[in-house]
Amino acid sequence: MVILETVLDATWEHIVLVYTTLFVSIIVSIPLAFASLYSKKLEFVVMKFANMVQAVPSFAVVAIMVPFLGIGFTPAVVAIMLRALLPIIKNTYIGLSNVDPALIDYAEGVGLSQWQINRHIRLPNAYPAMFAGIKFAGILANSIAVLTAYIGSGGLGEIIFQGLIGYNTRTLLAGAIPAIILAILIDISFTLLEKKVTPGYMK
Amino acid sequence: MQTERLFDRIDSIQFKGITKKYGTGFAVKDLDLEIQGGELLILIGPSGSGKTTTLRMMNRMIEQDSGSVTINGLDTREVDPVRLRRNMGYVIQNIGLFPHMTIGENIGLVPKLERWDKNRIEERVRELLNFVSLPPEMFMDRYPRQLSGGQQQRVGLARAMAMDPPLFLMDEPFGALDPILRKQLQKEFLKIKNEINRTIVFVTHDIEEALILGDRIAIMDQAKLVQVGPPEELIFNPVNELVADIVDTKRKFKHMDTLNVKDLMSPFDEKYVFDGKINSCDAVEEMTTRDIETAFVFDDDELLGQVTMMDLMKCRVKIQKLADVARPVKTFQPLDSVAFALSELKNSGEYLAIVMNSKHPIGILVSDEVLLKLI
Amino acid sequence: MLTLQVIANVWDKHLMTMRTIEHLQMFSIALLLSIIIGVTVGVFIYMRPKTANAVLNFLNIVETIPDLALIVLLLPILKLGAGPTIAACVLYSILPVARNTYTGLKGVDEQYTYVAHAIGLSPQEALFKVRIPMSLPLIAGGIRIALVFCMGVVTLGGLVAAGGLGTVLQNGIQLYEKDAILVAGLWTGLLAVFLDGFAGIVEKKLHERYGTW
Repeated sequence: MVILETVLDATWEHIVLVYTTLFVSIIVSIPLAFASLYSKKLEFVVMKFANMVQAVPSFAVVAIMVPFLGIGFTPAVVAIMLRALLPIIKNTYIGLSNVDPALIDYAEGVGLSQWQINRHIRLPNAYPAMFAGIKFAGILANSIAVLTAYIGSGGLGEIIFQGLIGYNTRTLLAGAIPAIILAILIDISFTLLEKKVTPGYMK
Repeated sequence: MQTERLFDRIDSIQFKGITKKYGTGFAVKDLDLEIQGGELLILIGPSGSGKTTTLRMMNRMIEQDSGSVTINGLDTREVDPVRLRRNMGYVIQNIGLFPHMTIGENIGLVPKLERWDKNRIEERVRELLNFVSLPPEMFMDRYPRQLSGGQQQRVGLARAMAMDPPLFLMDEPFGALDPILRKQLQKEFLKIKNEINRTIVFVTHDIEEALILGDRIAIMDQAKLVQVGPPEELIFNPVNELVADIVDTKRKFKHMDTLNVKDLMSPFDEKYVFDGKINSCDAVEEMTTRDIETAFVFDDDELLGQVTMMDLMKCRVKIQKLADVARPVKTFQPLDSVAFALSELKNSGEYLAIVMNSKHPIGILVSDEVLLKLI
Repeated sequence: MLTLQVIANVWDKHLMTMRTIEHLQMFSIALLLSIIIGVTVGVFIYMRPKTANAVLNFLNIVETIPDLALIVLLLPILKLGAGPTIAACVLYSILPVARNTYTGLKGVDEQYTYVAHAIGLSPQEALFKVRIPMSLPLIAGGIRIALVFCMGVVTLGGLVAAGGLGTVLQNGIQLYEKDAILVAGLWTGLLAVFLDGFAGIVEKKLHERYGTW
């Protein structure tokens, strides 16, 4: 029998885990995506690595953390980040690099600095793709956060794993259903955000 | 599925009171037309005249609103459309071939669906490719995109012939080709037509093509049939301004004696120039890439003659230098009179000539059927 | 630290040959079912375009559900074992296959369909001989995504007694055997990356063969 309070606590832990990771991933990804614009080598490495890690099963990524980082919150954040970084970097990079070169030439011509070009031309152009990547990363993070409970991160996965031990359907559902609701909320909220930041001419 | 033959030969095709509405207007209105067995009937007219709709009602790709199409007395609406279409060969311009199938698979598609055995299909494909002057061993396993426009059009014709249908529907088959290539394929098709001796309904917007190929020509305008008859009749007795306009007689006739070769020629293009030292097999590949079927052979600046892809295809048997296989080509000066040039061309049995300005080629002259009929 | 001796010990102790076979068996069944159902759904929504939006939206929602939560939802229906894992793989993988099939079929130039009919192909023949083959590069792209999904979900199977390499990972974590975790983790990742790379090559070949019109 699960108590409502346990579920609420676990949900809060889950949310903290997901959003901490997402936040850190965004902070790391965006500079990397910009850097990839200026270094073909970095772009090649990032994209290759991104595509490869995407194929690796999440559970393998989560498990491999244990020998290196042990168990707990930190290895969970790192495992989730490894998967969540990539859609953000990839999408941001595609958005940044898909700007009409003529527009960049023009901006340079009227005397905008590199920083101003990036800030006022490239970045707004990348918003839709970037937010699509962040949404995808959020959903992914929410999924993997269920798994990381197995290496001691806490969150809704913990309730599911408890339910699996005794095969208690009610306990299982008490963990699974909030996780599903969180996923759908992430999907809806980021879809709205994505629509909001898309410049009018790109809709 | 094995389809029974509907007819062994066409005696006559009758359009009776055919009307097809298109939105609020008419695509075809009250059409009465008889197509005789064995003839090549041209449907020609400006776009929107109803010529394509008329053709497409014959194989029920478009269904008429009223009236009937009967073939040998059989109403087409009484026949299953798939069965009807398998009794007709269909050729369309441009991208008619399936890009994911080899040439052999394209031609053998309907025979395969008809459950012919493998050997029989292959034999038929080879026979048909030979018939359209494409050596099978060279082309069977290629994909359409590896062929030039002219070659693809030949394959389209071969595919239509696969089931040896008594009737062919041709929807601007040469429409996408450049004028010189088009002329060449028309000449070739004329030979094929006489050889296979089938009933053919042929849509075009090119009056030249109509005059070369048509036994009879039906001119359509604004959903109605305006005049139908043999080419001479249309040229000499046009029923109205529109027909005269389409066959273009008045304008050309008036200027006939003042026209020079340079007024009629198309500008010369470097893609027709081949070096005499190239061997015939390489030339075939290069002509395929350049999408031409005739080339003019030069040695440095000297014109040696012409070669056609059809001649060169025999390269598999014996590789030769272009300089050794080039045939003489007629040349004219820009200021020669058109009447003189065209009758020279006609007498020599050629349809292409080079226009030379002293030693430099500046244009290509293609024979003009309308003018020829006037000479 | 990972010597061949260590790898061999872990491999034997954790019955990894058997686990790999179980893993690939579940994976193959799941992928095969995903392809069959996905292509069928794709063709269906192509033929009934009015249903397309509803079906794709529904599958999109399924897609957001955390994979372990989906398996857990299926547990009461399909009981412990490989059933829920395979079913979850399929549920995830229908979307990429169906969506790409649908997009591929829609992308085939109408002219080809027209010609197919005009030379006397029946509607089914036009679908199977022309439209589906011409959509193959895109369908293959969808199958490749499904392959990655299936690999991921099958690995979770270890947590719900489905067997496979996930079981080795689970035991490794439970017993805190670092070597076992490393060997099984790397092997599972390697297998997935290898299969994905292979699918990428097939996809590229299909693009070369069918994709240039």
